[in-house]
Amino acid sequence: MTDLAAITALGESAPFRAEIGALTLIENSNLALASLSVPRGQNVPMIFEMTLPEVGQWQAGADISAFWTAPNQWIIEGHNRANEDFAELVKRAAPDCCVTEQTDGWVAFDIFSNDGSKPIADLLEKLVNIDVNALKTGTAVRTGLHHMSVYLIRRRDEQITIVGMRSLAGALCHALETAAMRLR
Amino acid sequence: MTRLSGGLIDHSAPVQFSFNGRPYTGCKGDTLASALLANGVQLVGRSFKYHRPRGVLSAGSEEPNALVTLHDGARKEPNTRATVTELYDGLVARSQNHVGPLNRDFMAVNDLLAPFFAAGFYYKTFMWPRAFWEKLYEPLIRQAAGLGRLSLEPDPDAYDKGFLHCDLLVVGGGAAGLVAALVAGRAGAQVILADEDFQWGGRLLAESHHLDEAPAAEWVGKVIAELSGLGNVRIMPRTTVFGAYDHGIHGAVERVSDHLPNAKGMVRQTLWRITAKRTVLAAGATERHIPFENNDRPGIMLAGAMRAYANRWAAAPTRSQSDPVAVFANNDDGHRTALDLLAKGIPVSAVIDPRTDAKRLGDYELITGVVDGTKGRLGVTAIRVTQNGSSHWMPCGALGVAGGWNPNVHLSSHHKSRPIWDANLLAFVPGKDLPAGMVVAGAAVGQMTTAKALRSGMDAALDSLAGLGITAKPIDLPRAEDTAVTQSAFWHVAGKGRAWVDFQNDVTVKDIALAHKENMRPVEHLKRWTTLGMATDQGKTSNISALAVMAELTGKTLPETGTTVFRPPYTGVSLSVLGGGDTGSHFRPTRFTPAHSWSAQNGATFIEVGAWLRAQYFVRPGESHWRQSVDREVLAVRGNVGLCDVTTLGKIDVQGVDAAEFLNRVYCNMMGSLAVGRVRYGLMLREDGHAYDDGTCARLAETHFVVTTTTANAALVYRNMEFARQCLWPELDVHLISTTDAWAQIAVAGPKSRELLSRIVDDFDLSNEAFPFMACAELTVCKGLRARLFRISFSGELAYEIAVPARFGNALMERLMQRGVDLGVTAYGTEALGVMRIEKGHAAGAELNGQTTAQMLSLGRMVSQKKDSIGAVMSRREGLELDKRRLVGFRPSNPAEVIAPGSHLFAAGTERTMQSDQGWITSAAYSPHVGSSIGLGFLEEGDVRLGEVVIAANPLEGREVRVEVVSPHFVDPDGDRLRD
Amino acid sequence: MLIPHPLLGLRDAQEFTYLGDASLLNRPDAASGDASNAFNDYVFLRDNPAGLHRELWYHEQGDRSWLIVTRNTVTHEVLGAELARDYILKAELPA
Repeated sequence: MTDLAAITALGESAPFRAEIGALTLIENSNLALASLSVPRGQNVPMIFEMTLPEVGQWQAGADISAFWTAPNQWIIEGHNRANEDFAELVKRAAPDCCVTEQTDGWVAFDIFSNDGSKPIADLLEKLVNIDVNALKTGTAVRTGLHHMSVYLIRRRDEQITIVGMRSLAGALCHALETAAMRLR
Repeated sequence: MTRLSGGLIDHSAPVQFSFNGRPYTGCKGDTLASALLANGVQLVGRSFKYHRPRGVLSAGSEEPNALVTLHDGARKEPNTRATVTELYDGLVARSQNHVGPLNRDFMAVNDLLAPFFAAGFYYKTFMWPRAFWEKLYEPLIRQAAGLGRLSLEPDPDAYDKGFLHCDLLVVGGGAAGLVAALVAGRAGAQVILADEDFQWGGRLLAESHHLDEAPAAEWVGKVIAELSGLGNVRIMPRTTVFGAYDHGIHGAVERVSDHLPNAKGMVRQTLWRITAKRTVLAAGATERHIPFENNDRPGIMLAGAMRAYANRWAAAPTRSQSDPVAVFANNDDGHRTALDLLAKGIPVSAVIDPRTDAKRLGDYELITGVVDGTKGRLGVTAIRVTQNGSSHWMPCGALGVAGGWNPNVHLSSHHKSRPIWDANLLAFVPGKDLPAGMVVAGAAVGQMTTAKALRSGMDAALDSLAGLGITAKPIDLPRAEDTAVTQSAFWHVAGKGRAWVDFQNDVTVKDIALAHKENMRPVEHLKRWTTLGMATDQGKTSNISALAVMAELTGKTLPETGTTVFRPPYTGVSLSVLGGGDTGSHFRPTRFTPAHSWSAQNGATFIEVGAWLRAQYFVRPGESHWRQSVDREVLAVRGNVGLCDVTTLGKIDVQGVDAAEFLNRVYCNMMGSLAVGRVRYGLMLREDGHAYDDGTCARLAETHFVVTTTTANAALVYRNMEFARQCLWPELDVHLISTTDAWAQIAVAGPKSRELLSRIVDDFDLSNEAFPFMACAELTVCKGLRARLFRISFSGELAYEIAVPARFGNALMERLMQRGVDLGVTAYGTEALGVMRIEKGHAAGAELNGQTTAQMLSLGRMVSQKKDSIGAVMSRREGLELDKRRLVGFRPSNPAEVIAPGSHLFAAGTERTMQSDQGWITSAAYSPHVGSSIGLGFLEEGDVRLGEVVIAANPLEGREVRVEVVSPHFVDPDGDRLRD
Repeated sequence: MLIPHPLLGLRDAQEFTYLGDASLLNRPDAASGDASNAFNDYVFLRDNPAGLHRELWYHEQGDRSWLIVTRNTVTHEVLGAELARDYILKAELPA
């Protein structure tokens, strides 16, 4: 392990967390990410015994999950693995695929509701031009949010993860926090 | 007080407000207009041009007269319609456009000067002398004419935006809209029902009709209760759908807290973008008036508005309850006003109706004739009634005018659909080619009775849902009024005096006649010549009357005369809410670099570079001018070692078996031949042959490259590479993904950079032999942290760029600074970076400005002849090949002089004209290395003119500097330091 | 406007970047004898029809697909969209 100290995307030593009304916003700084794409003419492989999800979908898994990002491209998520060389791990699992380390390219905010799915729907309609009714558990979409690009991953009815560019973490956090506060 | 009993206001909930500084009391449920009327206030403002006293004309958003300024201080909001302003405790309102008190406006002198202000007066009167327009006429006119004034302070309120999606959007919550929403809601469709009013029911609330056996408001209450209980229906009161855009997208403003007494901290308004698969437009109808002489006095009101004030708001339109009211109607609907007022105990002096066949519908006097004059300076006191050629004055405290109803077709014509004339209804109704997915229902489509509106709302919903494949069932409609509609073609009362058509812009029948005389007859010309319909109300109450007058003058029919189509917004939308609420530092997102915290703690001044904030320079104690900091940083890099956060450069990961071939095609120079573990400078051209971006390309493995772009073009280069990959050469196996944010990248530059790096790498040979200039490698640093190292240099010194996962960037910066103390390590910012690249003669944004070529950059030989690449063919076209301007360096002949970037270059002794222009200075800086100002620029045949003195002319500042043409490489022209 | 993305369904045009005429897909062969004229036409000449237009849109805030969208420039009606990559690869298949 390196003796350099990591900071979060927001420049802090500890991840951001806020409880606002029925919503809890938690920065997930332990999420490892790696993109994977399949060379021409090859079949889409199983990764860690997981079938890669279809267009617009997220495939849940205990330790590893994945979401579709583009034709023939996915992002593999390693939960609580940000301190590992996750891209290397994925590359070993899919040696023929093109794998790119993405862990530090992004900031992930997990948003939980303690009052069913409605608070999440109310929050999203203030942020993204996506039909919230169509954003069911197991879907993943990329769209714009306040002039930023984000992935929305609906992990459960009561939970959504918003993944934005790391350098924009502050602006994204501000947008989420402001929108959540305005719901009260 | 003229407050009546009953109505839909809460008499037990008094609301205090003030108008022009005087306190008044209204009730919960009042609008500002209804509360003023209930207090006997008829005079509420002054007109735009003539400063005529004006009162409330309507009871809705079509209001042209009752424009007031709400609130104080920074919250001051001018030109708000009192007729749609929901009353709340503490509301402060003021009238506008008068000098001195409202009842004695000193600018009313304008009314006496009316002959000078006729149609087209701007165009005629103020043409000459030309210079007077800006200095004299315009300020005078602005002072004399106009509406309310802005606070000129930043808006302190919060605004929001949001996005909604639905199967069916119902615009309007009256009879038709409520039924449409109910049908769709019961069918399980996703429904949004929006209305600009704060109470549901639309016109149903203004009339005394019953639905089944009960007052209409009871039915409305039941429907709203049911809709509220359905999870698939969203009801949005106080929400104006102001525009219909392409593909079912609508703009809407919800007034979230405008009606609340203590809304501090709350969002004031929300801008909604509603994407609807289908739309039912049920926007109702607007009553038209009848122009006659002096028809603009306070107390003269639309007859339907009078009913609304009496029935819904329990307010009589007069100053005192004993004053009688007269009605001037050309259709039966106007007679209802007399009936409803009588039922409320208000005396009605007469109904005056020009139709010889008009019937008396109740206990009032019916006069077959016209109203052709009025009296009463600040409020009507009498009307002149002319019957069979003889006139008499009839005292009255208010006059209702009923000219018939116009369907509110506005949104239906937002996609250029022209309304069509309905000869039976004598009004324009929605035409063909409506916005895709829109169906119009109720009064908006000419279904003017309650029964027909209900039926039409149901049919519209069933139609719309069928189109979506949603099965819906008809519902049981309540029994409702269905009396015949009797609109008549009586458009105005002829006369000598001024008869107002457009109240807000002070346009009279005479103005239209003048426009006709001056041949401004097409409706578009009429509008612009007279400014008719161009006020904030967009002519909702005036357009049809004006067209009718013009039709009469030209002898054409009304449909031949034409109509104007409507554009968004339906009613005014504040710029604040369109802005969406992200102001100040949140106006746009800011990108921070990984070492931002360290930089901020160490004296950095930041500069915006696109969305990024970058350290510009670091101020140390004792430095009072930025140049001191920058010079120190430059000298430290050239003498020792410096560190710069260069994370903002775009980084694109390129993989695949065809990656090398792909890069050969997107870079103009050879990239495929690059060896693994090496980096090469790359130049990208546009397909037209001009240079557009440069950067480095590192080959990490046989099928794995990392490409860097300039900060500014990161997104563009990525987009273009995706274009090349998907659209030009999809047969290549190439995989792209951006990694800009994933890696913190720090430039370590200067003669001691190798020494500094050697202190943090884990067991890695940095010697020149093992890791030469333009080498790259993956390695670990600081005990096991994976990193990428590139031996590249922008400064011209021995230099590296080291990349680590972004979250370690700040710590790496800190560590390098700690470990390099004895080496004199210095952090440097974008200014020093810029100075050093100019000293080294490297091109940057100012040289790659989209007008320059590889040849001009003296990189012409880089464009490979052996392969095709984007821009290669066009770069060889004659026009570009003939361009002999070349990138060279410049030094002032007198070292004390300063070269200004942007200066144009001329040979000594030539004229400063376009013809003799020989190029321009692209970049300039003070070089602490050279000890004077230096510059880079493009000069005709510059490469063979070294040593010549030319003129750098800056005509903007009237300065000229004699400069010597030199090599662009001010430091280390042979590049020995790089390879050391 | 809404763009009917062939994979993702109707998506708001705000997620896209517009490029223009789909003739940009037909990049000339640099090795042909008339390459310089062909490139001149390719780079500078475009049809600007009032009516049906095949044009390129990039799903920049989405899946980064380049699409060929057929749109009526008069009414803004969108008649269809396909992935540019699929279209070209299909066209290159022997008949």
